[in-house]
Amino acid sequence: MNVPSFVAGMGIVSAIGSDLRTNLDSLCEKRAGIGTMHWLSSARHRALPVGEVKLSNAELAAITGLSARVPRTALLSCMAAKETLINAGWEKENTLRTGFISANTVGGMDKTENFFKLFSKNTAAGKLADVVHHECGSVTELVADFLGIQHFVSTVSTACSSSANSIFTGARMIRAGMLDYALVGGADALTKFTLNGFNTLMILDKELCKPFDENRQGLNLGEGAAYLLLSSEKGLKQLHKNPVACITGYANANDAFHQTASSPEGTGSFLAMKGAMDKAGLQAKDIDYINLHGTGTQNNDIAEGTAINILFDSGFPKMSSTKAYTGHTLGASGAVEAVFSVLTIQHGIIFPNLRLETPMKEFSFRPVTELLRNQRIQNVLSNSFGFGGNCSSLIFSAA
Amino acid sequence: MVYEQPGSSDEFLNAAYAHFEISYPKFHKMDQLCKLGFLATEILLKGTGHSEKYGETETGLVLSNANSSLDVDLKYAKTIQTGASPALFVYTLPNIVIGEISIRWHFKGENAFFVFKQFDGNFIVKYVNGLFENKLIKNCICGWVDILKEDYRALLFLVETTDSENAMTFTAGNLNQLNQQEHG
Repeated sequence: MNVPSFVAGMGIVSAIGSDLRTNLDSLCEKRAGIGTMHWLSSARHRALPVGEVKLSNAELAAITGLSARVPRTALLSCMAAKETLINAGWEKENTLRTGFISANTVGGMDKTENFFKLFSKNTAAGKLADVVHHECGSVTELVADFLGIQHFVSTVSTACSSSANSIFTGARMIRAGMLDYALVGGADALTKFTLNGFNTLMILDKELCKPFDENRQGLNLGEGAAYLLLSSEKGLKQLHKNPVACITGYANANDAFHQTASSPEGTGSFLAMKGAMDKAGLQAKDIDYINLHGTGTQNNDIAEGTAINILFDSGFPKMSSTKAYTGHTLGASGAVEAVFSVLTIQHGIIFPNLRLETPMKEFSFRPVTELLRNQRIQNVLSNSFGFGGNCSSLIFSAA
Repeated sequence: MVYEQPGSSDEFLNAAYAHFEISYPKFHKMDQLCKLGFLATEILLKGTGHSEKYGETETGLVLSNANSSLDVDLKYAKTIQTGASPALFVYTLPNIVIGEISIRWHFKGENAFFVFKQFDGNFIVKYVNGLFENKLIKNCICGWVDILKEDYRALLFLVETTDSENAMTFTAGNLNQLNQQEHG
């Protein structure tokens, strides 16, 4: 059985907005969401710019109905997942098989950090309730239970390509006839753990990040959550929905080069993009827009650019990185950018690559720096490349 | 006995590298766990014609230990106050040793790393047989690679589907027995 999977609805919360509409407006108005740390408390990294969701845990809990004591990743996940289901018209009473495949990389680390502060001074101190949702899967379970999704629940954690891989897993399960609906995407909250880790690797920009700029200094971390409800044709009928797009291509590759760096030749990126295009039966000329992984690190942008330079040498499509808006949302980034990619198809617009002043000298192509409207966009390639060489590309096409 | 060298774990690993005349500059960047797993694999596969015999995706790699990456975790933690070391940080996961072995031997097959209190032949046999039964691999390197400070130990097995000289049957009993012997 080989059935296509359609995008029936989307939802998102990020540094540039707490819902789909606000994200779209911010993208169109060039309103970035990265700035001074406000909700996370980190004395060590207070000066680093971050892309926080502009809501406290208490506010997120009040909006979603979850407890404010659960990990922030679960609160963000729940917020975007609920919007997706409402947007798609999916209700608990729907009897078709629904799966929830959610990605994250930090799990309940924010709560664990609170616990550890006390525990490290006194092993009898610290609330155990703060560590029960530590692992990534627990965050997914919390949200699945809250939403009432039971047929299939799974968590994907493959660094920065996590939620691209959860989308691709859901699409495959629908194609295989295993699910009628797949709520796919991911969430990650900003934590000290991730700030410390990326800081150790010396790839954080102390200023606002400049993806694909010759003078880029690194990435800014962000947080957020985004989901898509993928549906089979049968599922769409039950929702009485016209799909906004369909997912036609996906591939994952690994360049087995280094723990935290891509090969400079961009082998993994190349294989992922090429694999997704082959899967969709598309040629380079058929791709109208690339939503770049474009983190703003020296290594990512040169590797990704090199792969694009080879793959699209017959004519470069329009492209941009949206990470200068949201920061790098890690486990959520693949889904955040999948939502942005579908928005470009839906509205015929291409979002600018903010803060790009001096294009990289290695390449002749130039990312888009101004908002483009009235574009005819049939196929969009969305890249998510993670540590461990874990590279994934998705292709969304007009339905 | 193929090689013996008194001294610290650090001295042993570097001396073994020199003794077996291995030339792989990246070895010197590795943490102790990777060095240990790397060397054990070199010795295991030496002269077996492994690379000619199997395709890139046909080799499984299933390792286990008791101390995860704690040896390098402790070293990394010491650097945090003075300037966290990226060179140590990138080794603070146990499965990095699988990555290093895979890069050296161009393995692109199934792999997994498990942390147990002690060597568990039952689990390894069950897991590796599962990979064979599902036709995911044609051979497998599996076993134990563990290091914490001066306490280190690697016990690797090459599992193949064809019989060969000195081979023994891949059973939990045989693995556990060998583990006991090697300990004694």
